[in-house]
Amino acid sequence: MAVIEVKNVNVTYRVLMNKSGSMKELFRDAIRGKARVVDYVALQDVSFTVDKGEVVAILGRNGAGKSTLLKVLAGVLPPNKGTLKVDGKIAPMIELGAGFHPEMTGSENVLFYSALMGRDVKRVKERTPAIGEWAGVSGHLNFPLRTFSSGMVARLAFATATDEQADVLLVDEVLSVGDTDFQEKSRARMHELINGGAAVVLVTHDMNAVRTLATRAVWLEDGHVKMIGNPAEVVAAYEAN
Amino acid sequence: MKYAQLIRLLVGRELTLRYKRSVIGIGWTLLNPVLTSAVLWYVFSFIFASRLPSGQQFAPYLVAGILLYTFFSQGLTQSADSIASNGGVLTKIYVPPQIFAISSALAGLVNFFIGMFPLAIVCFISGQPLAWTLPLVLVVGLALALLTAGFGLALSIMFIRFDDTRNIVNILLMILFYLTPIFYPASAMNSTVQNFIYWNPLTSYLDIFRWAFSNNGTPTLFNWIYMSIWSILALLLGTYVFKKYWPRTVAML
Repeated sequence: MAVIEVKNVNVTYRVLMNKSGSMKELFRDAIRGKARVVDYVALQDVSFTVDKGEVVAILGRNGAGKSTLLKVLAGVLPPNKGTLKVDGKIAPMIELGAGFHPEMTGSENVLFYSALMGRDVKRVKERTPAIGEWAGVSGHLNFPLRTFSSGMVARLAFATATDEQADVLLVDEVLSVGDTDFQEKSRARMHELINGGAAVVLVTHDMNAVRTLATRAVWLEDGHVKMIGNPAEVVAAYEAN
Repeated sequence: MKYAQLIRLLVGRELTLRYKRSVIGIGWTLLNPVLTSAVLWYVFSFIFASRLPSGQQFAPYLVAGILLYTFFSQGLTQSADSIASNGGVLTKIYVPPQIFAISSALAGLVNFFIGMFPLAIVCFISGQPLAWTLPLVLVVGLALALLTAGFGLALSIMFIRFDDTRNIVNILLMILFYLTPIFYPASAMNSTVQNFIYWNPLTSYLDIFRWAFSNNGTPTLFNWIYMSIWSILALLLGTYVFKKYWPRTVAML
């Protein structure tokens, strides 16, 4: 059973040629007939499915549409055309720590971040000490986040994001964070989550990770699917390109 | 409701964040309207106090007006701003963006309720008893929160698309301040201005609020109906505009 089903998805961004950041400028440009809207196609007719337990890697150069695709999968960006079906709880591991606020304490941030991801606040409250412990910031949880070092923030964000197994895991280059020790630890947990039975979509430039982790690979170029299939073959073709 | 927990966290966060690094903390919530009221009271009580209908007191009249106007203007700008300023979250994790606008309006409502304590003190000092209709301030507060959230939602799209909307809104809010009978009684104005005041929705909210709190206003049935219509219309407008334009606007965040 497919957990994620993407069918003929198109995403077009509308870009104003002379970027009108204000109503004043828009008004001025409209009067002079200079306001021109250009459609920028970010995704074109993209279709694929991800089954439970499958790990699909997305490859492609910068600007190929990988981030846009993840946003569509996360449900943040509605496609202009095509359909999208995602079943179950999504854990978007895209830029960890979205919603972290420097003035709030460590535990308040853990709570808020978890609530954003749709987790139960009461259960997270019980889990917070364990999350802090795992991130190695136990002693700091009651201090504002601005007193944390950037490494501590990254570890706390990672620990929070990966605390619960989700049905759908969207991973954007966050296979590991922190110093050498923590990298080892976080990589192990990431692999655990990826192999834990969720449907995983993985965006990465790390071809080794694709070969070892992915069960299928999708190669995006200029917004459309160039190749889809066995990771080793797709990586070979992509690297030859 | 699925997002009740998140809304509660957001409201709490907004309330603590605003004054987190200041010494008197939540006191700022009270200080701003109290100081504004003090200045306006000093300047205008000589002119307008005698023109209020008998039995009404100028000080509570003024403080109630400032309190309600502060709720609306701060709530509106904050709720319109909330979606743009949380763009970092909204482009990564799916939560209904409307939640942010609603939470800002609710945070304004909480501040409004906190502000009623100094208002009660002012009533006490000027020798005006609180009215038995006091619980009705809940209705006014909720109605105004709906109005705020509705307009906030519609404006949030504009705030993301055009940087100068903020300035325009601030000017409009200033005009609204003078067209609402906050520091003057409507009867002191000429008939043209009175017409504006009459159709200004905020007048209805304010009249009802003053009456419910300490019997310091004379709302009519018209005010109640007018208030309800505006709250419902604003909410419908906000949700409609937001639904329609959000898919294209999110790409700009």
